This record gives sequence, structure tokens and C-alpha cells, in this order.
Amino acid sequence: MDLMLVLSKAFWCGWGAIGFGILFNVPPRTLFALWIGGAIGGFLKFTLLQLTVGVVFASFVGATAVGMLSIPIAHFRHVPPMIFAIPAVIPMIPGVFAYRTMLGLIKLTGAIGPDYTTIMSDTVNNGVKTLFIIMSLALGVSVPMHVMRQESAKNIRLKIK
Amino acid sequence: METTKKSEAKELGALLLDVGVSLLSSGASCSRIRITMRRFAAAYDYQAHVSIAPKSISLTLNDEADSPLFNGMLSTPAQGVNFKTISGISRLSWDTVENGLSIQEVKDELQKLLNLPHYPRLVILLFVSLAGSAFCFSFGGKPIELLITFGATFCGLFIRQEAVKKKFNPYICVFFGSLVASLFAGAFIKAGLNINFEHAFATSVLFLIPGVPLINSFTDLIDGNILNGLVRGINALMFAMAIAFGLLLAMLIYNLK
Repeated sequence: MDLMLVLSKAFWCGWGAIGFGILFNVPPRTLFALWIGGAIGGFLKFTLLQLTVGVVFASFVGATAVGMLSIPIAHFRHVPPMIFAIPAVIPMIPGVFAYRTMLGLIKLTGAIGPDYTTIMSDTVNNGVKTLFIIMSLALGVSVPMHVMRQESAKNIRLKIK
Repeated sequence: METTKKSEAKELGALLLDVGVSLLSSGASCSRIRITMRRFAAAYDYQAHVSIAPKSISLTLNDEADSPLFNGMLSTPAQGVNFKTISGISRLSWDTVENGLSIQEVKDELQKLLNLPHYPRLVILLFVSLAGSAFCFSFGGKPIELLITFGATFCGLFIRQEAVKKKFNPYICVFFGSLVASLFAGAFIKAGLNINFEHAFATSVLFLIPGVPLINSFTDLIDGNILNGLVRGINALMFAMAIAFGLLLAMLIYNLK
């Protein structure tokens, strides 16, 4: 496993999260937390990918970690958890798969040639991956709230031992 | 007594609709809008029944005996993403519950919140471009590709912001952004630089990906707001199509396959 590569990817995922945080106009007090969240999510995702875990499950684990982190950060930074969680999982959005799906769909509008079935299966594969990764990101982010059965993070007490 | 209660309900109802509409147009999920409006109402001993449509919110305020005192509906202005508004309103709602602010105080605070400035434009451009390079790196891009993505994102976002200012249709704004970003990235490929086609193209338009509608769509679906979830999902799909058309047009112009 190439630890250096994973660490540097995680480092840059953090900057990706900050970039999107600024685009979404998050309060400045959450920016540092965003970097940490993006980096931890990215670290888990890329570590699992290196261990040849599927990309959907790897994204789910990353997003769940971000979702868990969002509760204490909501307390310490006084923001709703989603303010932190959404920009932090954006670096895990499967841009390349979505891009390949779109290009594949456009190619499918062309004439039917010998490689038509290959393009079709590639496109379906990429599309399903995109859909499931996004679903797992949304689910992962909201897992902690659903597990703790609370409507607001304010009602979840943090126990510090 | 009866009339003061009624006029208070009217004032509070208008305020709650403002709160709800600000949340909806800043990219909050339906359950958050509903919870926040109910929390405000409960702070003044009312019960709020909220119905959220894609572009409007209706509200009925009932007193403790559950008889209606206020009915109202408000439609949203242009929708965007502004997390400062969402977090500000969340704080304000807790402030109201815990410190018992008056309706007028909440009104003033809300106005202040809505007028909070965005980040300076240059900061947004630079950091989003940096985020673009970061994505390019995480997909395995080389330094030259990172630089191209940075430039492409910068130009694309600049054009998109200009288009938004000129009040183009939101999908068309994204189309312009995507077209300019991919024209920028494509120019380097056309110039014969030895770079990975996919890295440069796919990551230079990533800043346009409708991440908030996508995630909110699934959040709404999970919470059972199926209709809102579907609407948000289709909205996100339209943005994705706009990105794809921009990319395709750039590829056609450069005659790339």
C-alpha cells in the first residue's frame, strides 16, 4: 500500500472541501474543520481503495466518518451538521464516473457498430457506480442522525470520558 | 385578547414564512426547514403545519388548542447555495428558544443575517480553482494537468458568475461555465501537449457539479419527502446535462473524440 500517495490525496481532498465550502459560503469558523473532515473522508476512501475494496463501499465509509464527525463539530462550531458534512463529502463525488457516463450516453446516440455493446455495458457500469456512490454519500452523511434517532444535533449529548 | 393573539399570529406567520423561504432558497433540506419553522413557532407557543413545494412554502399556525390563526404562502426567489444563512438561522432559532427573543428582535436579526457578505470574489475564484486542482490530483493528475485544471476552473467560474449577474437562466449559466472551462482545457490538448485527456476535461468542469441538490435530493427521499427529493434530483440532472452540453460543444469545436 502506498501510504505517501494516500496521505497526499487526503491532504488535497481537504483543500477540495475548503474550496467548496467557500463556494457555498460557509461561516469562516468552520473552514479548518472542513479541511479535517475532507482529509479524513478522503484518507478512508483512498485507503480502502488501495486495499481493493469497491469504490461504492469505500465512499460510504468515508461519508459515514464525515457524518459522525459532523456531530461534535456541530457542537463545537455551533453550525448545523450538514453545513460541515456536505462540503466535506464533495471531494468524494464521482466526477470521472459521471463524465464517462455522459460521454457514453452521447456515444450511444450514434450508429450501431461492432463495439456498441461494449460502450453500452461501460456506460451502464459507470452510471450505476455514479448513482450508488452519490446515494452512499447522502446516506453516510445522515447515518449518525438516523442512528441516534434525533431531529437535531443539539439533542445529542456528547459524552467525554 | 383575541385580537392581539390574532395580530401576533399574523406577524409571526409572516416571519416564519420568511425564515422558511430563506432556508429553501439557500439549499436546506426539507426536514431542516420544517424543524426550524416548528422550533420558532413552539418558542411562541404555536403549532406550525408546514407544506414545502419546490418553489414555495405554505404555513398554517395553530394555537395550543390546535385551532388555526394564520394561513399563508410565500414563493422563493432564485435558488442558490448559501450556508451562512442556514447556519445563522439555526443559531437564531436556538437563541429564540433559549433566550426568549421577541418577534421584532428575530425579524431584525434575520434581516442582518440575510445581508451578511459573501467571501470576496477573488477568494472564491482562487479557492475553488485550488479545489479543482485538488480533485485532479486525487484522480491521479500530473502537475501540468493540475495547472490546467486550475486555470480552466478559474475562467469557467468567472464566466458563470458573470452570467449569473446578467440573470441568465441558471442552467444556461452552468452551460457557459462548462463551455469556457472545457475550451480552456481543450486548448492545451489541441496544442499537442502530452496530457491525459480525461483528467484535464473531467476535472475542469467538476466545480459545476450540483453537489448540494444531489445530496439534498437523497436526504429528502430518505426522510420521506419523496416529491421534493424527485424535484431536486431532476434539477441536479438538468445541471449535469448542462455541463455535458458545454463539454460536448467544446469537443466539437476542437474536433476531439
